Amino acid sequence: MQTFSRIGVAAVLLSALAGLTAPRGVRSAGSLDGDFQVRSAFVVVDHGVLQLSAHVDYPINDRIRGALRDGVTLAFDLDVTISRHRHLWVDATVLEMTLRRELTLHAVTGRYVLRDEAGVEQESFPTLEAALDTLGRIEDLPILVESQLRGEAPWQIAVRAGVRRGRMPDALRALVFWTDDWHRTTDWYTWMLTL
Amino acid sequence: MDADAVRRYGVRILTAAAFTAGILALLLLARSVENSAQFSRWQPWILLVNILGAIALMMLLARKFWQLYRDYRDHVPGSRLAMRTVLMFGALVIAPLVIVYLFSLDFINRGIDSWFRVEIKQGLNDAVVLSRSALDLRLREQARRTEIFARALRDLQGTELLQRLDEERRATEARQITVYDAYGRASAVSSATPLLQQPAPSPPEVRLQLSAGRSYVSLNSLANGQYSIETAAPIADSVAARAGRRYVLIHYEVPQELSALAEGVQRTSSQYGDLSAVREPLKISFRLTLTLVVLLTLLAAIYGAIYSAQRLTRPVQDLIAGTRAVGKGELGTRLPLSSRDEMGLLVHSFNDMTKRLRRASEEAMRSRQAVERERERLAIILSRLSTGVIVTDRELTLHVANQSAGNILGGSFDAAVGQHLTQLPRGSARFATFIAELRSRLSSGRDEWREQLTLPGEAGERVLLWACTRLPDESEQGRVVIVFDDITALLAAQRDAAWGEVARRLAHEIKNPLTPIQLSAERLRRKLLGGMNAEDAQLLERATHTIVAQVDAMKQMVNAFSEYARAPDMKLQHFNLNQLVTEVAELYRLQDPSTEIRLDLDAALPEIEADRGRVRQILANLITNGIEALAGVAGGCVEISTLQQRAEGAASAVICVRDNGPGFRKEMLGRLFDPYVSGKPRGTGLGLAIVKRIVEEHGGRVEAENRPEGGASILVFLPVSDQDRSLLAGGERRMEMRRERA
Repeated sequence: MQTFSRIGVAAVLLSALAGLTAPRGVRSAGSLDGDFQVRSAFVVVDHGVLQLSAHVDYPINDRIRGALRDGVTLAFDLDVTISRHRHLWVDATVLEMTLRRELTLHAVTGRYVLRDEAGVEQESFPTLEAALDTLGRIEDLPILVESQLRGEAPWQIAVRAGVRRGRMPDALRALVFWTDDWHRTTDWYTWMLTL
Repeated sequence: MDADAVRRYGVRILTAAAFTAGILALLLLARSVENSAQFSRWQPWILLVNILGAIALMMLLARKFWQLYRDYRDHVPGSRLAMRTVLMFGALVIAPLVIVYLFSLDFINRGIDSWFRVEIKQGLNDAVVLSRSALDLRLREQARRTEIFARALRDLQGTELLQRLDEERRATEARQITVYDAYGRASAVSSATPLLQQPAPSPPEVRLQLSAGRSYVSLNSLANGQYSIETAAPIADSVAARAGRRYVLIHYEVPQELSALAEGVQRTSSQYGDLSAVREPLKISFRLTLTLVVLLTLLAAIYGAIYSAQRLTRPVQDLIAGTRAVGKGELGTRLPLSSRDEMGLLVHSFNDMTKRLRRASEEAMRSRQAVERERERLAIILSRLSTGVIVTDRELTLHVANQSAGNILGGSFDAAVGQHLTQLPRGSARFATFIAELRSRLSSGRDEWREQLTLPGEAGERVLLWACTRLPDESEQGRVVIVFDDITALLAAQRDAAWGEVARRLAHEIKNPLTPIQLSAERLRRKLLGGMNAEDAQLLERATHTIVAQVDAMKQMVNAFSEYARAPDMKLQHFNLNQLVTEVAELYRLQDPSTEIRLDLDAALPEIEADRGRVRQILANLITNGIEALAGVAGGCVEISTLQQRAEGAASAVICVRDNGPGFRKEMLGRLFDPYVSGKPRGTGLGLAIVKRIVEEHGGRVEAENRPEGGASILVFLPVSDQDRSLLAGGERRMEMRRERA
């Protein structure tokens, strides 16, 4: 009995250690698989306002479709940073913003609904492709006033897109971070900005 | 820095790391929860910090376990108690933790599963279907109405068309009715709200649908939670072939109550879907989080158990170590008073006990030291005592013996303590006789006596006064102390004193009448001799001659006694003893050439300070004795030698007169220097007595013995100077005093 108890305790300890040291979650392969990249991005200055245009390819697969059918909300983030290089010091961050939108399949209407994070603007699409195409085309998004560009040129602009399972309470998000494989980001798409 | 210091620093760093990791993990978690957008950024750090904290905790725990195991293996005092306490605490902690853990795992599974019960999902699906059905009915109605309305718009243009649109909008409470041309451009609009801008182009899917010949109907949700229905139908114009088909798009608003219900169903369905998607990850995360929390709690609890056990057993270990130290005699051991509980009371009692023990030990030490001092004092007294002292038991095992005992008995008791007296080497006949007498008395049960004991010896008999008594101490039961003193010299001195008194009385009582007797005899002879006949005269002559001769003889005898009893009146002077010896010897060579006189003089002998005439008398008496002893001995020889000797810090000149005659008779050896003791038929017996008297007047001593090869030997020890004489006299006086005390 004592031996069994020792084995049990050892098993608990080992399983806890394994859980502690295991890689981030048991990633079920392919939840967000598919072509996912920032295809192009550029910034234009229009009347002193920096406007971002970008083209992002978002992945489409059956798991995404199935998740949307099951009522899951997907969050699409577009991270934009503008930084300035500094010698012998970390780069200075001029801008750090995220454009977050959510996509869900409306259970009653059967249309794909795309809305901003605040839910102020909303657009619906009959197909997922149409919704993702709209998501992937960012045109003339004002990101900064030119006068807010501090320091000397050049500045580095970086754009990254991300997809994750949205609409989750923060407490739950803190708990499921072990096993949440519904989170994927593209590489940073960077270029130098010289006005 | 030594290994212990490094180890202590390591433990502190690990403890600080574990503590910091815990705090950091909490901070990161709190920050990430506050801003979920930052969560993905902090997630790896949270994981890393947790791992570091767990590793630090495990290392601390491993170190504690290793300490426990090492102490247990090395049988460190208190290690078993600590191990038992740790096991007990560990069991008390692990058992409920495991139970709670298993129960929580089951609870998590059941609880989360209960959130997503099939009935709930089915209900939500039914609600969605119901909402769709309700809206589909309205959709179909609006679609049919739109188709009818589109037919009514055939070939209507301009104001007539607008009027018709307005009528229809009011009749159907549509929000907006727009007529598009074949290119999708709005050609006429009727809106319930004022138009601020040009109507938007029709959605592509509308044109796509209508181009396929099908009517278009769509249900849309708006951002404000409202629902709208869009229906489109082609207008069958007669000129359609030329300009393409027009179509009408009507926006209806779903009633608010129905929209709210449908939106509620949609919102609930969406939330359920979001939650349902994290069902399994949530369960796994809950399990992992619970496992991690339980593991950390378990590790922390076990660490706390070990720490508490060590804290609990430390006073016990201190007590054990202190007890062992006290057992080794370290009575100054004091334990740190770490608490004020019962353990502290025990430690306090221990310290009080050691304090009392130390005091008692110090008292015993002082007593031992006092005893030792007394022993040393007694040993010094015994060593300085001229009286022999022996402590032995009835089995004759020697326990104490001083140096004088050996000197008196002619043996040595060095390193003989603890040995049997009968097993000691018998150095002399005196020693053997003494042991035999002692054994005889003790074996007969006697342990108290005070007697004289005469011991034989080569230089004459020695008379001891010895006393024995039993030691009263209980621990010395069976032991006796024998005190003895050599009183041979004392007895001789007493005899000398007696003979001196006799001589003095003889000189006084006999010498005085001798002269009148002699004068009277001579006067009788002178007066009477002339008037007597020849025969009487001859008789008188013989008689008076006899009287005078005998009176002369008596005078000589009285003079000798007078010389013996004469008070010392020495004339000390420095002279060469060798020269004096040579002079006296030469005189006797002339008087008696038949006896050979040999001289062996020490050339390094210094001048001595003495009465030259009396020393001459000593030499004369000794040589005379030697020559007389050699009468009738062929090849007789008297050998005279001188040498210097130093004893007790005093220098002595030694005159040794030996002969090769018959030697002293054995029974005379103890009384050679007594008056009237002589081995010669015609001797007065005062020669050696006078020698002894003169020598003692000079502060010296004289010894006589028979030579092993035959013949007699007389040794005269004379102090070289007056200072040496004082030293010898002091030593002699001390010896006399000791004898008297003894």
